[in-house]
Amino acid sequence: MECVVQGIIETQHVEALEILLQGLCGVHRERLRVHELCLKSGPNLGPVASEVRLLCDLEHSEPTWTVKHIGGAMRGAGADQISVLVRSMIESKASKNVLRLFYGLGYKLENELLRVGFAFHFQRGAQITVTVSSINKMLKLHATDEAVPVTPGIQLVEVTAPATPENYSEVVAAVSSFCEYLAPLLHLSKPGISTGVVPTAAAAAASLMSDGGGTTL
Amino acid sequence: MPTKWVLHWHPNPGSTVNSQILNEVSQCAEAINGVKDGRWKATLTLLKPNLRDQSQPGEYPRELLGISLPEQPNKYYFILRGPRIVTEADSSIQVIMEKLQSYKSRIALYFEGYQYQLGDFQLRVGKVVSSHSENLRGIVLEVEYLPISSMEKASQVLGEFVDIWQEAVLKRSLPGSFMHNEPNLSEYGLGDNYTPQHTAVQYAYVMAQLFASQSTQAVRN
Repeated sequence: MECVVQGIIETQHVEALEILLQGLCGVHRERLRVHELCLKSGPNLGPVASEVRLLCDLEHSEPTWTVKHIGGAMRGAGADQISVLVRSMIESKASKNVLRLFYGLGYKLENELLRVGFAFHFQRGAQITVTVSSINKMLKLHATDEAVPVTPGIQLVEVTAPATPENYSEVVAAVSSFCEYLAPLLHLSKPGISTGVVPTAAAAAASLMSDGGGTTL
Repeated sequence: MPTKWVLHWHPNPGSTVNSQILNEVSQCAEAINGVKDGRWKATLTLLKPNLRDQSQPGEYPRELLGISLPEQPNKYYFILRGPRIVTEADSSIQVIMEKLQSYKSRIALYFEGYQYQLGDFQLRVGKVVSSHSENLRGIVLEVEYLPISSMEKASQVLGEFVDIWQEAVLKRSLPGSFMHNEPNLSEYGLGDNYTPQHTAVQYAYVMAQLFASQSTQAVRN
């Protein structure tokens, strides 16, 4: 399972966010370029329709593939009270013909997108990953070189951390605590509950850009 | 990566495989100075499409094979024999497939036994049993040549070793022999450099041979 929150930021403030993240994480960013294919089971296959994501990491000279299944979110009064979504998530690296395998099994391409941006991976009470990326759509099938932004001028920020049924409350606390540091630039919430851009973003970004992230916000 | 041949026991017409043959074959491995080196186990699972309406099969493959190999405990292999696809994934892919519920396990074959070291060779002799019954369904033999990863280059030395092995088996006057019919690995996009995916395809082929010989046996009976 994983803990996840999302938010959006204007592209003009991404550089400031990067400076802030660099200061907070103490690690270098990694470039991100991932082709994400969402596949859906064909008619009559499985007791209910199922979805699986195939992620092709295009950052390496030899693309690497990952199969990702996102399951249901944790429910109940406890889950409602926390600001982080806790959901089932399983990943598996796979060889490059995995798309052919799933087509062979009867899965169909539902949609595809290209995420371009950067990511930070670091340990801060949990193994946290922050990705900042623009979401692009392909005008032609699999044409990642001709992808265009879905929301020009806006980028998606996602904070995730792996968790287990035993430790998820500590991971939720670690993610929530980390998100507070980003609050002047963006607000992070459960996926699907968009809170838009924050009004303090421009001022916070200006402050970060002027002192290179040396000042605590 | 070493190179490997996977052979299976082919009983003479009218005879069947039994545990006495398995014992004799294991003794052959020791008779040619094989040093017993622990147990091994491979599993091949046959999965079928899990259809909501069985009367409408649709255009889905009849079966999907899932294979775990002892030398790659963190990996799992899927094979679709129709379109000739072999895919390697982390073993967590099994959990993903369970969550998707689109294919369900129908039967599993367990290949298990002892492994033996003979200089540059490693032998694995094992029985084949199914998840449905404890009855012996076959005997499998893996011959692995450790120094070379090129199938073409290792072919001659593996062939010579198997000839010596067959002579050792022949001396015991057993009702059958080991067969090595290599599947066409290039059809699966596999090259000369040996990988665990080559092993997975060989196991799928052995399984097909076992099922084919048992259905022939059933027709005869």
